[in-house]
Amino acid sequence: MADLYPSLAQCAIVATAFKILLFPAYKSTDFEVHRNWLAITHSLPVKEWYYEKTSEWTLDYPPFFAAFEWLLSQVAQYADPAMLTVKNLNYDSWQTIYFQRATVIISELVLVFALNRFIKSAPQSNKHLAHISSLSILLSPGLLIIDHIHFQYNGFMYGVLILSIVLARKQSTLLYSGITFAILLCMKHIHLYLSLAYFVYLLRTYCLDPKSVFRPRFGNIFKLGLGVISVFAVAFGPFIYWNQLLQLKDRLFPFSRGLCHAYWAPNIWAMYSFVDRALILLAPRLGLSINEEALTSVTRGLVGDTSFAVLPEVTKEHTFALTFLFQLLPLIKLWRSPGDWDVFVGAITLCGYASFLFGWHVHEKAVLLIIIPFSLIALRDRRYFSAFRSLAIAGHVSLFPLLFTAAEFPIKTVYTVFWLVLFLFVFEQVAPVPERPRIFPIVDRFSLLYLAVAIPLIIYCSLLHQLIFGLERYEFLPLMFMSSYSALGVVGSWIGFMVVYFTA
Amino acid sequence: MAPPPSSYRPRKKRKFPLSSTGSNNALIVDDGNGKHTPAFPLASFLWAARAGVSQWLILPLILMAVGLFRWAVSLWGYSGFQVPPMHGDFEAQRHWMEITIHLPMSKWYTYDLQYWGLDYPPLTAYHSWLLGKIGTLFDPSWFALDESRGFEDPQLKVYMRATVVVSEYLIFIPAVVNFLRRYTQMHGVPVWSASVALVAILLQPSTILIDHGHFQYNTVMLGFVAASLDAILAGRMLWACIFFVGALGFKQMALYYAPVMFAFLLGICVFPRIQLIRLVCISLVTVVAFAVLIAPLVVSAVSAGAQNELSSIPLPPLLQALPIKLDKSSILYAPLLQLTQVIHRIFPFARGLFEDKVANAWCAIHTFYKLHRFEATLLQRVSLGATLASIFIPCAIIFRHPRASFLLPALSTVAWGFFLFSFQVHEKSVLLPLLPMTLMLSGDGGLSKETRAWVGWANMLGSWTMFPLLQRDGLRVPYFVMTFLWAYLLGLPPSSLEVYRSRSSSDDPSPLLEPHIITKLVHLCFYLAMVAWHVLEAFVPPPPGKPDLWVVLNVLIGAGGFGLTYLWCLRKLVLQCWMIGRKVEKDTQKKNQ
Repeated sequence: MADLYPSLAQCAIVATAFKILLFPAYKSTDFEVHRNWLAITHSLPVKEWYYEKTSEWTLDYPPFFAAFEWLLSQVAQYADPAMLTVKNLNYDSWQTIYFQRATVIISELVLVFALNRFIKSAPQSNKHLAHISSLSILLSPGLLIIDHIHFQYNGFMYGVLILSIVLARKQSTLLYSGITFAILLCMKHIHLYLSLAYFVYLLRTYCLDPKSVFRPRFGNIFKLGLGVISVFAVAFGPFIYWNQLLQLKDRLFPFSRGLCHAYWAPNIWAMYSFVDRALILLAPRLGLSINEEALTSVTRGLVGDTSFAVLPEVTKEHTFALTFLFQLLPLIKLWRSPGDWDVFVGAITLCGYASFLFGWHVHEKAVLLIIIPFSLIALRDRRYFSAFRSLAIAGHVSLFPLLFTAAEFPIKTVYTVFWLVLFLFVFEQVAPVPERPRIFPIVDRFSLLYLAVAIPLIIYCSLLHQLIFGLERYEFLPLMFMSSYSALGVVGSWIGFMVVYFTA
Repeated sequence: MAPPPSSYRPRKKRKFPLSSTGSNNALIVDDGNGKHTPAFPLASFLWAARAGVSQWLILPLILMAVGLFRWAVSLWGYSGFQVPPMHGDFEAQRHWMEITIHLPMSKWYTYDLQYWGLDYPPLTAYHSWLLGKIGTLFDPSWFALDESRGFEDPQLKVYMRATVVVSEYLIFIPAVVNFLRRYTQMHGVPVWSASVALVAILLQPSTILIDHGHFQYNTVMLGFVAASLDAILAGRMLWACIFFVGALGFKQMALYYAPVMFAFLLGICVFPRIQLIRLVCISLVTVVAFAVLIAPLVVSAVSAGAQNELSSIPLPPLLQALPIKLDKSSILYAPLLQLTQVIHRIFPFARGLFEDKVANAWCAIHTFYKLHRFEATLLQRVSLGATLASIFIPCAIIFRHPRASFLLPALSTVAWGFFLFSFQVHEKSVLLPLLPMTLMLSGDGGLSKETRAWVGWANMLGSWTMFPLLQRDGLRVPYFVMTFLWAYLLGLPPSSLEVYRSRSSSDDPSPLLEPHIITKLVHLCFYLAMVAWHVLEAFVPPPPGKPDLWVVLNVLIGAGGFGLTYLWCLRKLVLQCWMIGRKVEKDTQKKNQ
């Protein structure tokens, strides 16, 4: 049965060929962000890394990522030393483009390695399923759009995340899983959102005796504590020594930003804003009062400081409370099932969901935080898959507004449709029949309907809208439709997965 | 819960007996323990589609995947980008859209000929007109008359690139898909092998690099040729004529195929018995198709304004050569003038024997023995003679045995003959012999090591000889990526030596399906030479007196390789013909017994 073709390496080679061809494609300001970091880390002493502000794109990733940039800059000087000058804002010679794009491709090898370990770690009877989900992650349109066109290093980071998840599969490597995750946190702090799941799992499975909560294993606690603390010490120690910790905190957690990101990420707040917009039209009839100031601010869709016209304002505290609450629920189950790796991955996924759906200033890119861990268990059985399906559609469609240039339109749409058709078909074929009957067979029908709506919506947003209203008028409308549509899918799949998770 | 009724249907398992036809043998390697592994990466990518997966799924996926590579290549540079004053092929095509939408037809072939005057046949002109009209809807400034010369807006680039992709997906791809379906059925090749061959054909690097990188619409012409072949397989000879006229009417280069098509169509009217009505129908349809194609141009010349305009241009040489005196006031004079002007523009006999550096016989000879010393007319005659000699055998075979299965080798041989020996060859003309040759991958045993080795080798050589051209367009990276990718997918050097390694298993090593030892040596030497050449070209500056040394070296090696490929195609054609002849003999012997 286990036909493992095409192999991971074969796919990686063909995908790499395609990614190299995308070198001249559109690149966002993130390209300049990373170039600037190369310049900062290369030309300034470590002490000044987090104080430098010549460019508006200051260093706002944790120290290990800065060290990674420093490492790259050591090679970059041979490609084009001019890119390493802090004052060279928006510098993009072709050597710079080739170099930076190539580093994304090369650093993605970490992902390939992690996926390879994932396949190896799967039990023999499930190897082909692990293989298929690995391919789906490797070829993910999310990574293609965000990393290889828009420009970021997510493939690399998610590689580290997957590695740490895979290490958590065996009791003997649990310690390394924790340490790897600590390293990951010191590279990109967005993974803090997942840290509670790690904390609970490692505490319950590694630090306490699986059979009894009241028998702590002090040796393990010591090893894990020492490991994690030394990772953080290496990362932040020097900055503590220089007394820069507050500066780091300000850079890493800029809370001055608004509730919604520029393009609304498809979460609860996007739906909330959408309802608010709709209520503006209905308010006179319902006798609601309208906050006049808000009328002008949200309509652009480019939100710095969101305020709502009809519905009550949302504060940071609200979002935190909701995020925490919805992370807590799956963690209870995780606590009660020690050593169950599937539950662990499910809990990570649900933590990702909670933070994405309720978080403050969520990026649409953060949807990968859900999709990638979910992919690892999506093929457990058909119930998991049916929750995954609408997430896959909504999550990837919601990334479309990231690329708005005409030349990239065919690439993002055709590639995403290709991926969806291929992998949803293959998943459908191979996902095993669940041990228990499905609770909501009707959900499948809804997800089919949901899929069908996607096509006219994309056509409207990318073509018809411009033809009807022109480029300038109501430009927020397609964005709002897209994010509300996607939000519906993400929320739907979240509810579906919650049900699966708690009944499994 | 039971699965929903619609989604589950017990399928009949289709089984592919491994021994019946050659093609699957070549794709699946049995390692002796009953475990099957794909023979090369492309087979591996389609591994899951081996049995029972609907073509309704496979085909769209293939078309999307190859489309993505096309579009990704099109993000790179095109010919003549930021090279004023003349720019390149991109500007030529854009300029034709500009003049066809703004000028009356009578001026199309006469307007400011110094600046990319239209020199392609009428179908290209109509095609340009249509694209120009559609493009004007987006932005009229792209095609403003005279104002828009050398216009290089990124949006315009996207539009132009999209027109190439759309034209290809409307003509070339349906034609190739249909042709393959019929051709593989005819040869009893399993559907799965056909899909593998389809991907290999659609990812052919040289076509993608020229059309979507350098910028041309070759696939439209090639698509008409494929449609014509498909019609022949379907037995619709008249449609075949119409499609072939379409190909000729789009790009005169399709003439490389014309002798074979002519010989074939004549052959089916003569053998096995003479069918006069068929002959009349075929010739009538061809003539009518040509007439329809040219009619708008000729009719447009009749109007009074057009007559005045036309009479102001210098007489086309073709008309000058006519022995009779023409009456300038006649109503037929202007149409005749228009017609001859079109022909004069399409066939510029006044140009040299070869253009630039082309990997053909003349350019190779010229390197050692300068051909300038001879008169142009003499060279033209010699070139004509050599071309005729090189295409005589394949044409004769296809005339005597007009079988559809001989068409591909015959077309390849003849096109190679033209490429090597004819007059005025362009390096991009190598696409013409490569198309029928690459289509051979879909035949019986087409994916066997022998065919794969030769077809692959010719394709690699083909794109390699275009490297100097592609490099000028800023297509160095796409060249390496696409060529290497294709080689990798088909298991060819430089990525793998798999095709040249003999399989050790003793069961039925049919001698035809494995490349001969001499073939292996020759191919490997050429591959080594190509790699070495790239290293030289990249790191060693040519000696001061000979700035073109690397290009000349490229041309020499290329010409040698193409000569060998010509011989291989010829040999394949003769062998096929001989084997069929023997089979017929056996059958008649059996009957007589």
